[in-house]
Amino acid sequence: MVDTRAHLEASDPRPPLVVLGIGNLLMGDEGVGVHAVQLLEPLAGPLGADVVDGGTGGFHLLDLFCEYPYMILIDATLDDQNPGEVKVIEPKYATDYPSSLSAHDIGLKDLIESAQALGASPKVYLITVSIAVIQNMVMDLSPKVEAALGPIKTKVLELALKVHHGMAAPAQT
Amino acid sequence: MNGKRIVVDPVTRIEGHLRIEAEVENGKIVDAWSAGTMVRGIETILKGRDPRDAWALVGRVCGVCTSTHSLTSVRAVEDALGIKVPPNAELIRNLMFHTLYLQDHVVHFYHLHALDWVDVVSALKADPNEVSRIQRSISKWSKSSPGYFKDVQDRIKKFVASGQLGIFANGYWGHKAYKLPPEINLLGVAHYLEALEWQKEVVKIHTIFGGKHPHPNLVVGGMPCSINLNEVNAINMERLNLVHKLLKEAQEFVSQVYIPDIMAVAPYYLDWAGIGGGLSNYLAYGDLPTGGYEDVKSFRLPRGAVLDRNLNEVQEVNAKDMDQIKEGIGHSWYEYSGGDDVTLHPFDGETKFNYTGPKPPYEHLDVDKKYSWIKTPRWKGHAMEVGPLSRMLVGYAAKQPDIVGIVNDTLGALKLPATVLFSTLGRTAARALESSLISGWALDDYQSLINNIKNGDERTFNPVSWEPSSWPSTAQGVGLTEAPRGALAHFIKIKDQKIENYQLVVPTTWNGSPRDAKGQRSAFEASLIGTPVADLEQPLEIIRTIHSFDPCLACAVHLYSEKGEHVHQLNTF
Repeated sequence: MVDTRAHLEASDPRPPLVVLGIGNLLMGDEGVGVHAVQLLEPLAGPLGADVVDGGTGGFHLLDLFCEYPYMILIDATLDDQNPGEVKVIEPKYATDYPSSLSAHDIGLKDLIESAQALGASPKVYLITVSIAVIQNMVMDLSPKVEAALGPIKTKVLELALKVHHGMAAPAQT
Repeated sequence: MNGKRIVVDPVTRIEGHLRIEAEVENGKIVDAWSAGTMVRGIETILKGRDPRDAWALVGRVCGVCTSTHSLTSVRAVEDALGIKVPPNAELIRNLMFHTLYLQDHVVHFYHLHALDWVDVVSALKADPNEVSRIQRSISKWSKSSPGYFKDVQDRIKKFVASGQLGIFANGYWGHKAYKLPPEINLLGVAHYLEALEWQKEVVKIHTIFGGKHPHPNLVVGGMPCSINLNEVNAINMERLNLVHKLLKEAQEFVSQVYIPDIMAVAPYYLDWAGIGGGLSNYLAYGDLPTGGYEDVKSFRLPRGAVLDRNLNEVQEVNAKDMDQIKEGIGHSWYEYSGGDDVTLHPFDGETKFNYTGPKPPYEHLDVDKKYSWIKTPRWKGHAMEVGPLSRMLVGYAAKQPDIVGIVNDTLGALKLPATVLFSTLGRTAARALESSLISGWALDDYQSLINNIKNGDERTFNPVSWEPSSWPSTAQGVGLTEAPRGALAHFIKIKDQKIENYQLVVPTTWNGSPRDAKGQRSAFEASLIGTPVADLEQPLEIIRTIHSFDPCLACAVHLYSEKGEHVHQLNTF
C-alpha cells in the first residue's frame, strides 16, 4: 500500500521524479511492479522521488504522467525471455511500448496516449521484468521473479542518479 | 439459423474482456449472446484469510471500481460482526464514493462511450465560430471562444496528419450511423480532452481520505485517516479546503459541460430512445446513507426492484433472504456439487471452474451449451438490469424527491414521455442525471462533515469488535453497494476468525451473464434484440447499446502476446 505523495495540487512543489509500479497483486508474477515499489518505499527520500503503487489503476494514474517530468515505470512483460530478466527501455511514443506489455484493462498505451493528448510528455524509463506465465489468484512471486527485485532496485537507484545529476535527456523535446 | 452471425470480440473501451455474438436478419439483431471470456476467482484466494484483510485484496480485482469493492467488503464484515461506523466515517466513505461516481461516470461518458456518438473525423470540418455560438447558448462554461475551439481542431488535425490517432484510433469514423453535425462533434471532442484533464484532479479526494490512489485504504470499523484540523499529517483544514474546491469544480463540470452535452446530443439520436430497452425489470440495492448504513430508509439512492416497468410500485429487496438472489451455472463454465440445474444463494455459493468451451482461437461459441465465465444471477427468478438507469427508476418509483424532480425536469425540457427511459439513450441519460444529483449531495456531505468536526467529533473509527477474540465462532454478513455500473454484493461467512466462504455478485454478472437454465436472457442479450445493424463489418450499433451499460469485467488482468494476439487465461483452459 504505497503512495508517498504529500503534494496534491498540481502547483505544489514536488520531486521531479516518480517511481510507479504497476501490476495486479492477485496475479502472481504479473504483480512484480507493485512488489518492487513496496520494497522501494523506504528509499523515497534518498531517491528524491515519489513512490507510488499504481496497481491496476488505468485512468486513475493519469495525473502521474502529467505532473512529473521524469518517471521510472516498473511492469511485468510476457516476452519469451528468461523469467526475472530485467531490462530498461526508453519509449518515446505510445507505439514504442512493447505490445507484449501487460494491458491492465484500460491499458498503459491508452494512458500514454491520453497524457500526450493533454500535451504532457514525461521522460519515461520503463523497467520491464520478464515473466513466464500468467497465474490466476496467486499472491506470491515465483523464485526467479522474486530474485529480480534486487536488480530492479539497483536499476531504479542508477536511473534516479541519472535524473538528478542532469545526465538524463531533457524531458521535453 | 437463417441470419448472419457476427462477433464482436473483444468489445473495446470497456474494463475487462467481453465477447458478443449476434444473429442478424434483414438488418436487425434477432438474437444475441454475451460471454465473459476471462475467468475470475477472487473467491478462492480469500478463503482462510483474516476478514479484516479482505478489503485490500478485493480492491485489486479492478482498476476502475477499486474502492467500491473495498467498501463493499468492509460493509460485509461490519454486517457480519454488527459493527457500526462513526458518522464521520460514513461521511468520508460517502465523499470518496461520490468522487468515484463522478469520475467514473464522466470517464465513461466522454472516454468510453461518447465516441460511439461523436465522429472525431467529422469534427475537422466544423466552423469554430459556430461551435462557440452553440457552446455559449447551452451553458456558462468559460472555455467557449472561437479561438479555443480552433486550437482543439488544430490539435486533432495534427493527430490525423501524423497518422497517429492515438486515443482516437479505435473508431468507425465516417459510419453512417453518426448523426451529429461537425460543430457538435467538435464540441464533444473538446470536452473529451477537458474531461480527461478534470478527472485526474478530482480523484485526489481519494488520496486525501484514503492515503493513496489508486486503491485507497479503508478499515473495518471506519476510516483509517485521522481528523485534526491543525495537524500537518492528518485530515486538516488545508486538505478539507482542497476537497471542497475539487467538489465545487466537479459540480461545475457536470452542470456546465456534461449535462448540456447530453442535452445537445440527445435530439440527434432520439431513435435510440426506442432501441436497446431489453429487460423490463430493474434492481437497485441502494446506497449513499445519510443516517447509518443499517437504516435503509436513509439512503439517497433507494433500495428496491421495479418489475414490468411499473413505476408505481417498488418491490422490497432483501439480499439475505435465501430465496431472492440465486446464481445458476446452466450456461457458465463452472461446476456445482448439486449439478447444472441447481441455483444457489451466494451464502452457499460455490466457485469451481470447469471450462468446456472450444479451444481458442475459435470462430463461434457453442451457445446451446456453456459459453461464459459469468454466472447467471436471478432475483426471485427474474432477469434484472442493474446500473444508473435501475437506480433512477427505483428511486422514481420510490418517490425519492430529488430523483423525481430531475427526471421530470429533464423529460419536460426534451418534451419526451417517461417511456423513453427504457432504452439505450435512457441508460446514458440516467448516468448523467445521477452525476448531477451526486455532485450536489457531495457538497451536502462535505458540509455535514465540517459541521461534525466543528462540533468536536473527530472520530473516524469504531474499535469495538476489532479484536478477533471478541467475535462469535461463526458469523455471516452481506455488503451491498451501488457501484457506478450497478448493484454489487459481497457475501461473507466467517468461521473461527477466518473467512470460510466469500462470494461476489458484481454488476456485470447481472447485466452480462448468459441465459439461465430456463433460457431467459440477461440484460445485454435482451437489449440487443431488435437493434439495427447497418454494416455487419462495423457493428457500431451493438457497441452503443453494450457501452450504455458501462460493462466492467475486470476481475482479472488479461495480456497480449508479442503479436498483439489476446492471451487467454491459459492455466484455466
